[in-house]
Amino acid sequence: MQSARRLSEAEHERLRRRYNWHRYRTAYLFLLPNLILFALFLVLPFFWVLYLSFHEGGILGAPRFVGLKNWSFILGDKIARQTVLNTLLYMLLAIPSVFLISLGLALLLKRIVRGSATIRAAIYFPTLSPIVLAALLWIFVIHPDFGILNFFVRALGFAPINWLGTGTALPTIAMLEVWRGIGFWTMLFLAALLSLPQELYDAAMIDGAGPWAQFRHVTLPLLRPTLIFAFIMATIWNFQLFDSVYILTDGGPQYQTATVVWYIYKNTFQFDKPGVGAAMSFLMLLIIMIMSLVQLAALRGRR
Amino acid sequence: MAVPHPQVRPASVRLEIEQAERRSRRRRALRLVLSYALLLLACAVAIFPFFYILSLSFKQSTALVTYPPQWIPNPPYYGNYTTLLFEKPFLRWGLNTLIVAGSVTLIKLLIDTMAGYAFAKLEFPFKEQLFLFILATMMIPFAATLIPTFLIVRELKLQNSYLGLILPALASPIGIFMMRQFIESLPTDLENAARMDGCSEFAIYWRIILPLIQPALVVLGIFTFMTQWTAFVWPLVITNTDEMRVLTVGLASLKGQWVTDWGLVAAGSVLIMLPITILFIFFQRYFIAASLAGAIKE
Repeated sequence: MQSARRLSEAEHERLRRRYNWHRYRTAYLFLLPNLILFALFLVLPFFWVLYLSFHEGGILGAPRFVGLKNWSFILGDKIARQTVLNTLLYMLLAIPSVFLISLGLALLLKRIVRGSATIRAAIYFPTLSPIVLAALLWIFVIHPDFGILNFFVRALGFAPINWLGTGTALPTIAMLEVWRGIGFWTMLFLAALLSLPQELYDAAMIDGAGPWAQFRHVTLPLLRPTLIFAFIMATIWNFQLFDSVYILTDGGPQYQTATVVWYIYKNTFQFDKPGVGAAMSFLMLLIIMIMSLVQLAALRGRR
Repeated sequence: MAVPHPQVRPASVRLEIEQAERRSRRRRALRLVLSYALLLLACAVAIFPFFYILSLSFKQSTALVTYPPQWIPNPPYYGNYTTLLFEKPFLRWGLNTLIVAGSVTLIKLLIDTMAGYAFAKLEFPFKEQLFLFILATMMIPFAATLIPTFLIVRELKLQNSYLGLILPALASPIGIFMMRQFIESLPTDLENAARMDGCSEFAIYWRIILPLIQPALVVLGIFTFMTQWTAFVWPLVITNTDEMRVLTVGLASLKGQWVTDWGLVAAGSVLIMLPITILFIFFQRYFIAASLAGAIKE
């Protein structure tokens, strides 16, 4: 019988290697489609955007090397600086508000039983709409003539407000994004709250802790990892604010709602300055990466 | 309650306990009412704009600016819908969206489960490094690579084509993580038994793993479909003909630079929300699970 035959050392090694090679090849075949797509649409663009940031042109003609010109331009450009500041200000307005409201709603939802599924569905509903649609929807909310908000403003006896005017436009956009984001964050926080061990609350109650003390000393410390992680995600997503700006204001008035991605889009596809857009893109990439890593380090440190 | 012999307590103490209990019951009831009130307010804020556009979509654009507003149009005006469906390429946009979102979803389901299976169950050199690399790509925002992605797709002559819309959307790492996590939790006995019977790795993946992770497939499917359903920047950049637009870009194009037919925009919004609302009513649980699964990337 064949199995009775002892394999020589060399033969054994050869068979083992062939078997392993076969196994590895199979594994890589499973990964191949994704690896090709990642190489073509993530890795290549990553380096290409760096390459483009040292060039001029490239959309209509061949790119021309210009050294650090684009970089010195965006570092000195007032509008570029303003887009970064606008984006940060927008995040400062939107992220804490949406987190506070959503956490509050999640705490309330945790308390009730009857009708909970329906209420969850209603609160989640705006998240289903594409941002473009949400932005168009908000035109009907904020329109000076037939908007819902001004209907209430008038009913209270005030003069109608221009919700997309100087000073109001960026907060209005933040309000829209908060409105659309509440459903998502509420469900995320609710899922986190429901996974907390009930025994700790029972123990706190026996110690005589009221709702606020329970929240402050049990819920909040336990939620800390979720909250920090949520902040990272919210930072990455909100830094890329574009759709609603594109629909509602196109950056105006006086660049007050001009965001980083809006600036990238404009420079590349309308001002024919892809080099400037590329430099800005890479800058955004760096900012987002640094922010994610800092927050991730904070998360690790707390554990 | 931890009151073993209430009958031996003096009457005054019993009364006090009763009062305290009533007080705390009343406080709890009040708190419950307040909770419902706040939650219903949140529901109203979330839903009301949708009802408002539903109402507006049955009005002629010239009748929008009536004050006070007429909440239920009487008589209803159907012109916005007929214009949209028969004079604008709205149905074509819907078809485009379905083709793109459907293809991306099917392809992602296939290749992400394959990659997830490899990372969860197979051994190969550089496994850890490759996984870390894919983890790192999650920090690259799509907007940052928009320009070169556009140039690559243009170089491939895929502007204004379905492939051009689909291909870049496939390079996203989240599904691989979700599937790896799910497949890792499956017991190895089944696959090992199949391996002993001489099953190939592909047969194991196809006949054993895939049927076992059906719930995860539904979650990833909804997540991917919804991401494509709401996508805007990439379709905006890579298509410039009216008949290759997807719904989001088409809807945005209805908002003119100077003059906008708001009735038309309202009707378009209603038509876009309608199918997704119906799906949501039936699969609510999966929708919420999908959006959370996409978010929890760790």
